[in-house]
Amino acid sequence: MKFSNRFWLIVAVMFVCTSVWPVLGQTDAAATTEETPEIPGSVDMSLGVKDTTYVMPENFRGKETGEGDQQWLEDVGYLMQENSDLYNVDAAAIAESANFEGEPNINWEVKKEDADGNMNTESSDNTNKATNDSNIKDPGYYQVHNGGARQVSTSGGAEGEAIGDSGSDSGSESGGAASGEETASAGNEGDASGAAGGDAQTVTAQQRIGIEVHDCTAPDMWVAFQEGAGTVNMAETEEALKAQMVGKIIENMGKPFSTDAKAFEEASYIFLEEGEDSDRDSIPWEKTARLSIAGTLFNECGAPKFESGKLSSKTDQNDYTNHVNVIGGEGKSLKGVYVRRNVPFIIAAISTDNGNKRATAGEVEVKIEDADGKVVEKEGEGYLFRVPNYPRSEYKDQPDYFFTTSAVDKDGNLTTIRMPLYVVNTQAAFEGGRNQ
Amino acid sequence: MNKRSILLFVTIIVGLSVSLFAQDGAGANKETPWLEGVTIGPHPEELSPVLPLKIYLENGEAIPATLTEDVSVTLVADTAIFDPEPPSEYNGTEIPSPKWTRNAAVSWFFIDWEKNKNVAASSSQQLAVNQMVVTPLNPTGKGAITCHIGRKMRYTSPETGKNKGTFANSSVAQDVRVLDITPPTCGLEVSVQGGRSGTFWVAENPPHKYPLPKLADVYFSGALVKEADPAEIITVQGLELGANMVVAPETAAVYVPADAVLNIKVNGEDNYKLDTAKLKYGICKIASGEPIPISPLNAAEVALAELTLPENPYLYVDATDVAGNRQVLFVPLIVK
Repeated sequence: MKFSNRFWLIVAVMFVCTSVWPVLGQTDAAATTEETPEIPGSVDMSLGVKDTTYVMPENFRGKETGEGDQQWLEDVGYLMQENSDLYNVDAAAIAESANFEGEPNINWEVKKEDADGNMNTESSDNTNKATNDSNIKDPGYYQVHNGGARQVSTSGGAEGEAIGDSGSDSGSESGGAASGEETASAGNEGDASGAAGGDAQTVTAQQRIGIEVHDCTAPDMWVAFQEGAGTVNMAETEEALKAQMVGKIIENMGKPFSTDAKAFEEASYIFLEEGEDSDRDSIPWEKTARLSIAGTLFNECGAPKFESGKLSSKTDQNDYTNHVNVIGGEGKSLKGVYVRRNVPFIIAAISTDNGNKRATAGEVEVKIEDADGKVVEKEGEGYLFRVPNYPRSEYKDQPDYFFTTSAVDKDGNLTTIRMPLYVVNTQAAFEGGRNQ
Repeated sequence: MNKRSILLFVTIIVGLSVSLFAQDGAGANKETPWLEGVTIGPHPEELSPVLPLKIYLENGEAIPATLTEDVSVTLVADTAIFDPEPPSEYNGTEIPSPKWTRNAAVSWFFIDWEKNKNVAASSSQQLAVNQMVVTPLNPTGKGAITCHIGRKMRYTSPETGKNKGTFANSSVAQDVRVLDITPPTCGLEVSVQGGRSGTFWVAENPPHKYPLPKLADVYFSGALVKEADPAEIITVQGLELGANMVVAPETAAVYVPADAVLNIKVNGEDNYKLDTAKLKYGICKIASGEPIPISPLNAAEVALAELTLPENPYLYVDATDVAGNRQVLFVPLIVK
């Protein structure tokens, strides 16, 4: 045979092979459908974070290793991805000669563990997409769950419906084949009485990831100063004031309970909290705080006011803890607290944290100390200063006093306040708008 | 033919094949848009057992292939995930020292395959962790109840001897259809020369009421209903949604001049599928609870002067859905 003839023979054989091969494949497929291959009730699934830049190491903040949980930061969006044989173009990996009918149904769910260890649904999104941005706003232990489902049929499958067996073997079972007889029939039906999926069977897949979401938000803090003289009705005890604050701080999710200066005639307040809802969702390294001062005790004139402003906060670059620090003084937004001599007053500080969605509040220690750090003790149930130290230029011999308090959550996020405490001469000072 | 020609021919064939394969690959991406951006494979890299799961009615019977809308069923999930200890073997692989480390997390869904939408089931009732009340709220010819259960577990890695965390998973589906038991909620828009109009429509209230009968409110608005305040919406509450929805003339009516030519448009509504072939509307009288048409069926324009009107004429809409649920609404037509 000449070389050119041999060449064309090879070409012809190639064409015959390429033509016949698919037909043979089809014949094989047809043959297998007669065997009614078993469709599993469920298949496995992979699930993970696509971009792990802000996934913290397994031992982050002292977490035990080997648990397999991911360490996330609150308010940081993580792109999740998942995959399963249910999402392929064809269903060959599900069962031999199986076909998909329609697109998959994909659901993303976030569950949070409560104090009793129960997993409660926080969100459920039917996106029908295998990627999903997951941004968890509050600290705690969570599980991100992906549930997938798709209708699968076999070309030679049974005409009956995919329903469970009856009797002791009742129910729909994953891993089993489409089988069983119809156990209920509809009477007066139209389209809705058509076969439940024809010969298609819903196959499911699911996977979860355990996630420890870490608190990166400093606690909210309210501080109240209440005098016990003049026309103001002083709370019977400091405990009563604290109890009142606990109720209000929880009710208002840490935000000021009023922005009307008239609401602060009985007591003056410092509110230090995350701010508006949009600010509360800031990513950890862009978090801010809102300082609000309300009442008559935050200026030397005793004029009632409500002022509010945004503060920056400091984020630790290693453990992403947050520190909101308020330093009062001349030239600062919070100049100090001005109390009257010979007028007893009480101070109460209450803190709440986003760790449990601000559901509880706790007492915070407050101190008045001098420049050397010596703590000023109470007189009876409250504080009482008998000698003025303000204006400082006139009372240079009198000590500087400072009010300090701090609140820390279990993750080490910290809120601190330190500001001067001035004792002003009392006579007709506040109502007159000037000191004597 | 020289060897150079052969080489050229083979190169062309290979090039064509490669380009065809490349097109197939692009086509695959278009066929699976839900996988856009996904870079992981379909199987978990670490051990993650998939355990069998059965779901059935609380009395132990199989879930019926046909459920009824708004009728609750209490379901039970049965899987080894609720056992005291996790499996010590999976697919022939030993799982040393397995321990559960968290409670099981359970999710139930109802998927409407006709819309490819799911609804998460939840219950305010105190139920065991493996139970759920599922109430299908919308009819469908193709649906599925799915149950997904996962539980965190720990075992000793044979490779490292250290603890390792993973999830045991169980999921399953029960294919069902949901029978429509809610009649259509159709209404009419009527207008006359000069732009005056009147509209009435029907809304199921309370929604998803069971047991039957379903109730509905009928709403009216427009100058032909209340000339003094056409924007006011008049509500006739608590009619039984069905084949005998007669609005009393003292509650609401449509007022038209005797020489008016009515333009009538139907607003066909159903919670599943309306049987448009059976839809009838127009002007009628009532005999034995049934509408006796006075005007031509489904006429878009009706000249009252050409009709012989009975003593109490009604505007009516007679609608049936594909499941056979029927609604007939009679609204008094007052001819001035």
